[in-house]
Order: sequence, then structure tokens, then C-alpha cells
Amino acid sequence: MKTKASFFWQRVFPPAILFGFVVIVWQIVTLAYDIPRYLLPSPLLILQAAVDQHEQFLSATLLTGFEAVCGFGLSLLIGVGIAFAFSQSKIIRSSCYPYAIFLQTVPIIAIAPLIITWFGTGFQSVLLVAVIISLFPIITNATTGLISVDPELENLFRLYNASRWQRLWKLQLPNSVPYIIVGAKTSSGLAVIGSIVGEFFAGYQADQFGLGYLILQTSNQLKTPQLFAAVIASTLLGVIIFGTVSFVGSVILKRFYALSSDAV
Amino acid sequence: MNCKLTASLFACFAAMFFVGCGNTEPASSPKKNFTETQTSAELTSVSLALNWFPEAEHGGFYEAVVKGYYREAGLDVRILSGGPNAPVLQKVSGGSVQFGVSTADRVLLGRAQEVDVVAVMSPFQESPRCIIVHKKSGITKFEELKNLTLAISPGGTFSQYLQKKLPLEGVKIVPYPGNVSQFLLDENYAQQAYVFSEPFVAEKEGGDPHSLMASDLGYNPYTSILITTSKTISENPALVQKMVAASIRGWQSYLENPDETNKHINGLNPEMGLDILAYGVKALKPLCITEAVPKEQLGLMTAERWIELASQLVEAEAIDSDTVDPATAFTVQFLNSSE
Repeated sequence: MKTKASFFWQRVFPPAILFGFVVIVWQIVTLAYDIPRYLLPSPLLILQAAVDQHEQFLSATLLTGFEAVCGFGLSLLIGVGIAFAFSQSKIIRSSCYPYAIFLQTVPIIAIAPLIITWFGTGFQSVLLVAVIISLFPIITNATTGLISVDPELENLFRLYNASRWQRLWKLQLPNSVPYIIVGAKTSSGLAVIGSIVGEFFAGYQADQFGLGYLILQTSNQLKTPQLFAAVIASTLLGVIIFGTVSFVGSVILKRFYALSSDAV
Repeated sequence: MNCKLTASLFACFAAMFFVGCGNTEPASSPKKNFTETQTSAELTSVSLALNWFPEAEHGGFYEAVVKGYYREAGLDVRILSGGPNAPVLQKVSGGSVQFGVSTADRVLLGRAQEVDVVAVMSPFQESPRCIIVHKKSGITKFEELKNLTLAISPGGTFSQYLQKKLPLEGVKIVPYPGNVSQFLLDENYAQQAYVFSEPFVAEKEGGDPHSLMASDLGYNPYTSILITTSKTISENPALVQKMVAASIRGWQSYLENPDETNKHINGLNPEMGLDILAYGVKALKPLCITEAVPKEQLGLMTAERWIELASQLVEAEAIDSDTVDPATAFTVQFLNSSE
């Protein structure tokens, strides 16, 4: 009970107070200076926009969320797979790594129209953009984790004539899990950005659209309160996905550390 | 090491000193200085923000610069290029520029969100907005748009109006890609376009575009309109009067003889080749000078058209009803002198 109360006072209360304070000052400023709504809408206007069109916002957030989760999952699978390959040989690593960096630096806005030309509009192209944007942190973190094994443990494995497979499965993989979790946290936020950017170019139908479409539409029509609402929905989506990944990560880490301490 | 550093620092200072001298010399020549201040005192500086990169759609405004009509009216007009999502309305209403180029639907969208902008002149009577389809498809009317892919920009008022107005059976709507490459690849593909631009490019690349004009569907917002704020209109009507009159002169002249200005636009925006600009002007002329509005009346706007557009935007759910009074969105008080 005591710890719960202190958690509330230390972790929940201060940011909630700050939030309330900012919102109140924001509302007062927009009223006092009569700021037009296209420049800076008041918090009440934004809330009203979100409530008035809550069905639209909800379905758009769910669609974008689905795309982001799929994109993140694929990135995790592909990223760890590539890292396995990288960890097996220095030649593979040094010949392929520059192209992995390419993924990180490619201006997605420039290649998105090409992706649509190649793969058509719709879910598959949005997914591809999300994967391209969120893949790199997984590759680089997982690779680091797989190759930065304690040399003494590595010698031990050599001494016992462990096979490549045994070394990967029993030494390198356990070592890399904390690194993969760090990469997954970064990647989960990026997957949300990736699916929104993907939707800018590739993903909408007249009757079914995500947050990317809502952001473009409301910005095109100067509907700033709705634009703020859509951006806040995107941020919340990112926080939810990031929070889930962090939580799962910390659970795995606890077990993982317990396991390793048992093993020692 | 220290010696080298001091030496190079000294060299730097010496170079700066000489460059500085070079710069001050022309300023100390009194004659040139005098003429410069004289001209800038006579002319009022004005900025005009475009809604897109310079193209034929803005030709009349550039013509007024190139042919010196603005200067004759006592204005030193600086035209600022736009681009995707150029915040023209925001800049004009915020006061960082006095004038802007926009479209009637955007003015109404803006006014619905408390943006204070007013249209003072419209070179276009008919909107250049269209949908291009393949000639092979046999489609000649909007009602025949069925079972194809249609690329239109999200949140565009025309695209929303289109979706409300037509059944669009089996039509897959995708975002406008910004070019015609997909159109050329896919026979079952239609896309939004400006009649003075995309059809030319598509034809040049071997395509067979046919344009369905938005105005034929009854959706016809004034285009490339000159906008300013109601504050500027009430505080400095003489400035607006000069700007409108010189811009109309520019448009009248540009539609007749655009070559010199097209070269100027091509210099500013090499993407726009001289051939596409020449095609553009030819396509624009019948949209600017019509039976109802002859050359002498270029720039005219009517209340009926603004009211109709406002009700269409309400129908398309782009604005809420009763948020905009179309009568306040434009004024024709500066158009009389050009008749």
C-alpha cells in the first residue's frame, strides 16, 4: 500500500499537475489574446473537435495502430533474422552493414511514390514504409548484442567444442536479448511514424482511412483543432505501443536475469 | 606552431580588411547612392505570395513585373514562390505579406477558421481543375467514372465534392501521386489534374489523356485569385486599387503575348519548360476570357458564384453551414476602374 501511494505521488502526480497547468495557461492565453483558431486552437476547441468526430478518430486510430503493430512485428522478425546472419561472419557483416545504414538514411518521402508504383496503393505499401523506417534500430542493436559476448565465456564454449548453433542459441542469443529490447523500444515509436507517413502516400480509401489521411485532410482544409486532435491521437497511439513494448521488455528482462542468476 | 597560427590569423584579418575596403568603395560613390534611395522612396514595396511554384497559372502577375506595370503604378512587387502546402492564407492574414494568390474554395475554408482574407480579383472565370481519363476508356462524362482507380488529393474540396456527388461504383480512390507515371502505366487509371499542365505531360510521354472539367460538374471555384486582408482594404484602399489594376493589365497582356514572361518564369522554375508554358497559356486563355466576361472585364467575380461555392463546400462537408458569409469573402470595389 505504502509503495503504491509513493508511486502515485512521485510518478503520476507531478506530470498530471504539469499537464493541468499547461492546459489551463493555454486556454487562458488563447482567450486573452483572442488567437484565431487556425493559428492556435484552445484545448476546449480541440476536445470538442475530438468529441464531435469521435467515431472517425477512433476508427482511424485503430487502423493506423493495426498497421503500426504489424510493421513493428515484421521489423522485429526481419531485424533479428538479419542480425543472426550478421553475427555469423565478419565478411557478411562488413559487406552488408553499409546497406543496412542505407535503410536508416533513405529519405522515405522520396521513395514512397516509387513504392506505390511498384506495389500499388493500400495496406501492403503502408506496411513496407513502416518496416523500412523501423527496421534499422533492431538490426543494429541485435547485431551488437549477438557479437559483444564476454570473451571468457566464448573461450569456454570453444574449449568444450561447442557447435556454431550451440554458441548462437546458448551464448549469443541470451546475451543479445537486452539489446534487442532497447532496439524494439525505439523501433515501436518509429513504426507509428512509418505507418502515418505511409498513409500520406499509399493508404486510403474513401470509406476507410487512418490518422495519416486525417492529418493531411485537416491540414489541407485549415481545420487546426481537428489537426491537433489527430496529432494527439497519433501521439497517444505511439505512447500505448511504446508502453506495451517497454512493459513486455521489462517482464522478459526480469525473467531473463532470474534465469541467468539461476544458471550461475 | 604558434608562429604559424599568428601568421594565418594575420592573413585572415588582412583579407577581411581588403574585402571590407572593396565593399565600402561603391557605397562612397554619392551618385549611385542617391538614385537608389530615390527610386525606393518613390515605390511602395509589396510582397505577393504564390500558392505554387511559378507556372502559367501565375503568368499575369509575372507579366506585370516583367512589363513594369507594377512600377508604373508606383509598386515594387516582390513575388514569393510557393510549393506544396504553401501557407499563403496564413502569411497574408498574419501580415507578413500584403497579397497572395489562392483559390476561392481555400478562401472560404480559411474564413470558416477565422482567417481574415478577402478576394479582390480573379483572372480565371472557369476553374482549370479537371480529372484526366484515358481516351481509350471511352469515358466522356463524370457519371461514367466506374470500375477504375481514381487518384485525388486527400482533403481537396473538389475530391470531397466529387465523392458526395457521384456514385463512383467500383472506383478505388487513392492519393494523388503528384505526377502522371501511374496514369501512363495503367489504362484503368484516372487522376486529378490542371488542364494546363498534366494533360500536356501525359501526351508528351505517349499517353492519351482526356480531360473532364470540374466546371462541367458544376464545381467551379475562382482560381489564381488575388487576396489580401480586410484590414489592408480598409486602411490602404489606394494600395489595393493600384495592385488590382496593374495585375489585371498584366493578365490582359500575358494572355495575348506571353513569350517574354514565359522565359522569365522558365528562368525561375526550370521544371516548367517553354513548351509546357506555351501550351499552358493557350489552355488558360478560354478559361480567363469567356463570352460572359470579355477581356475588358477580366478579373470579375459575382456574388452568385461565391454563394454557390459556399453551399457546395457545405454539401461536401468541408465547412459547417453558417460558418461563412460568402458576401464577405470577396469584393469587386477595385474592379471598376479597369472597365
